[in-house]
Amino acid sequence: MQNASRRKFLASISAAASAGLVSLAPRAPGFLLESAALGADRPAGDRILVVVQLSGGNDGLNTVIPYGDEIYRKKRPSLALGADNVIKLERDLGLHPRMKGAETLLEKRWLAVVQGVGYPNPNRSHFESMDIWHTAHTQPQDRAAGWLGRSFDAQRAAGRGSADPPGMHLGAESQPLALAARDVPSPSIRSLDQFQLRVDGDAQRASAIQAAASAPRRQASELLKFVQTRTTAALEISRRITAANQGYKTPVAYPETELAGKLKQVAQLIDAGLSTRVYYVALDGFDTHSDQANAHAGLLDQLAGGLAAFAEDLQNHGHLDRVVTLAFSEFGRRVEENASRGTDHGAAAPVFLVGSKVKPGLIGQHPKLDDLADGDIKFHTDFRCVYAALLAKWLGWPVEPILGEGFAPAAVLQA
Amino acid sequence: MPRNLAELTPQTAWLPLEAAPAFDRRMAAHLFRRAGFCASRRELDEAVAAGLTATVKRLLTAGERSSAFDEEMRKFAEVALAAGNPQSLAGWWLHRLRHTPAPLVEKMTLFWHGHFATSAAKVRDARLLYDQNELFRRHALGNFRPLVRGIARDPAMLLYLDSATNRKNHPNENFAREVMELFCLGIGRYSERDIRELARCFTGWEILHGKFTFNTYQHDYGTKSLLGQSGPFDGDDGLRVILEQPACAEFLCGKLVRYFVTDEDLPAEWIAPLAQQFRESDLAIAPVLETIFTSRLFYSERAIGQKVRGPVELGVGLLRALEINTNMIQLAERLRELGQLVFFPPNVKGWPGGKNWIDSSALLGRANLVRALADNIPPRSAAGPASGEQIDQLAELLLAVPPPAEVRAGLIAQLEQAGGMPGALRQAVSVLGALPEFQLS
Repeated sequence: MQNASRRKFLASISAAASAGLVSLAPRAPGFLLESAALGADRPAGDRILVVVQLSGGNDGLNTVIPYGDEIYRKKRPSLALGADNVIKLERDLGLHPRMKGAETLLEKRWLAVVQGVGYPNPNRSHFESMDIWHTAHTQPQDRAAGWLGRSFDAQRAAGRGSADPPGMHLGAESQPLALAARDVPSPSIRSLDQFQLRVDGDAQRASAIQAAASAPRRQASELLKFVQTRTTAALEISRRITAANQGYKTPVAYPETELAGKLKQVAQLIDAGLSTRVYYVALDGFDTHSDQANAHAGLLDQLAGGLAAFAEDLQNHGHLDRVVTLAFSEFGRRVEENASRGTDHGAAAPVFLVGSKVKPGLIGQHPKLDDLADGDIKFHTDFRCVYAALLAKWLGWPVEPILGEGFAPAAVLQA
Repeated sequence: MPRNLAELTPQTAWLPLEAAPAFDRRMAAHLFRRAGFCASRRELDEAVAAGLTATVKRLLTAGERSSAFDEEMRKFAEVALAAGNPQSLAGWWLHRLRHTPAPLVEKMTLFWHGHFATSAAKVRDARLLYDQNELFRRHALGNFRPLVRGIARDPAMLLYLDSATNRKNHPNENFAREVMELFCLGIGRYSERDIRELARCFTGWEILHGKFTFNTYQHDYGTKSLLGQSGPFDGDDGLRVILEQPACAEFLCGKLVRYFVTDEDLPAEWIAPLAQQFRESDLAIAPVLETIFTSRLFYSERAIGQKVRGPVELGVGLLRALEINTNMIQLAERLRELGQLVFFPPNVKGWPGGKNWIDSSALLGRANLVRALADNIPPRSAAGPASGEQIDQLAELLLAVPPPAEVRAGLIAQLEQAGGMPGALRQAVSVLGALPEFQLS
């Protein structure tokens, strides 16, 4: 397909999606096929959420770019990107030119861009605003546990605990508050090595350990039985992961970036068959107060490239229909650039959802630049409505006990 | 054989163990696993020779004879603090745990660290955390009352719970809430109103330049009404009222039993006799611990092997049992991967413990940790004991529950086969460390 016509095609898809009026399926047979596939969907208990945290405050305005907007060009004299540069979407909107991976995802209809996401009375402190996203509490009340951690607790309390930790954080930074729970701990692991039984290449020792752990125990206490079950399961996972590591074949060339490396490990864990429901990774560096252009471009490249490779890999291994990835940042940035060719802390911004079951294309209006609050973009979609969709419509978990009342699931997933 | 709980009742559970069965090596190893961090062979020999009563007394009073060691540790702490990061301090504490002549004091210090959990992730000043650690150690086996009064003035705690500035017009309820919920009474033993009133008692208690100060201008001198009592209470009055509640002894003894006896939540009537003793001794800790460690319940099947080892217990215990050493900063990092980095509890509730320690990642991490620590075992001496004896000795030191016969036979055969190979013993330990039994205490 020619570039121009492909873009037109993309634009038509996303326009239809954002209007919410037209069926996304191009033809009836395709539509039927799709709903048949949805009918035979995997149970919610099998579905996985991957969270990619963009730490520091991503400049949403230079991510989904209103390149035709006068105000945008005026307020961003050094940072504005024009029509010739962006990846065009629809109605004078475009993605940052370095988000080639996102273009691929849009083509495959695996990417949803939810615009104007935020919360009332935005807090412009990194720490506070990240806490707000992590806990889904806008008031500085109890911030001991996060929205995911509270869900893990609720699942266990309802007798739906799992053999593997329900949440897992990959990375060297300290564990995100989102996973903190009162009762159910989530491990933070730096890499997959930690998930492997180290036997220095001695296969005999590995099998000796396996045999010793699984040997029958007469008169075992309940506690010993519990630990034995978990031990044999862990050794089995380790075996699967070691095999997955050695023999993990993927035709997908992941970019050589930190985020892509982490996402590849997540793909391996998913493929190894862990019962973990939530994986959490972070990409830091979005606090671009000065000389933003290059740094931001590199980060968006890393983000889009990582997400595209990850989705492609999941698809290759048959997991994409049970994995949704959410990428969010604690806030967007000020509309007007500062004197250092950077941007300061702002408010609402887009979030991204990736997967074959997301509602593809642009979702919601691009926030108006002539209607700001204290120089910042206003939100129209509360982030808790996005969480509500992920909890209720994806993970199959209750919403109200976790988020409180009044957060209707945003229409970001396929019905 | 340890007695069955079926024979025990809440009334007899805490009575002293009868003369028979004699205090044997397995019971001594159990005592040291719980009241300390595993015993070495020498410690087991000494304990069995001295008998139960004398061994428990010795554990309870060892802190009174450790002044030279304490002095050395203070010097080491200064070195660790000079590095300025809490991870170095974690390495320091692990070193202390490995070498302490008073393991019960350290075991209780770790208990208080989990009970009054304060994390360096928020309180970044390592010096304040060290001071708090010393507070726990000073009162480890002492009286709960001065410990609580100390923690209410502790800079690290007050910074952690955001009550470093507690003002008359905006009393901060965070610390007051945890005093009742997590530190002294347990949930449901007070009302939301009691929390607000207790927060008023603490107004004006501030931290200035890392030190506790009382700001009379910010103290609310009005009448407070707390748990049925009222008066112009200050913070200490508030704590007095709370510590007078019968629920306090029940709550703390329940936690001690979970920490030292069993992960299972025993019904209240099993805790009641201990709580009564705790109240009668005016909240002194040591007498309650003496009762626990000499009790019938403690040496019953309901207790032995009925706890999941915590990461610190596991790592330090292995080092102490085998009398080996390792790089403590690295050990701290590895224990972090297993879910327990000291000075970094996950939240104000501390480490949840019990089955929560166990997940796939942690189990593999535990096996890998044992394998790595086993590298520090000196090569097996040709003149050492026979393979069977050697495996039994290791099992005695490291396992609360003996391995199945076929596993024991396999380990002996393997050791026999490896003969005088330098790595043979290390390999045996690394297999033992991956057994389900190894995770139990």
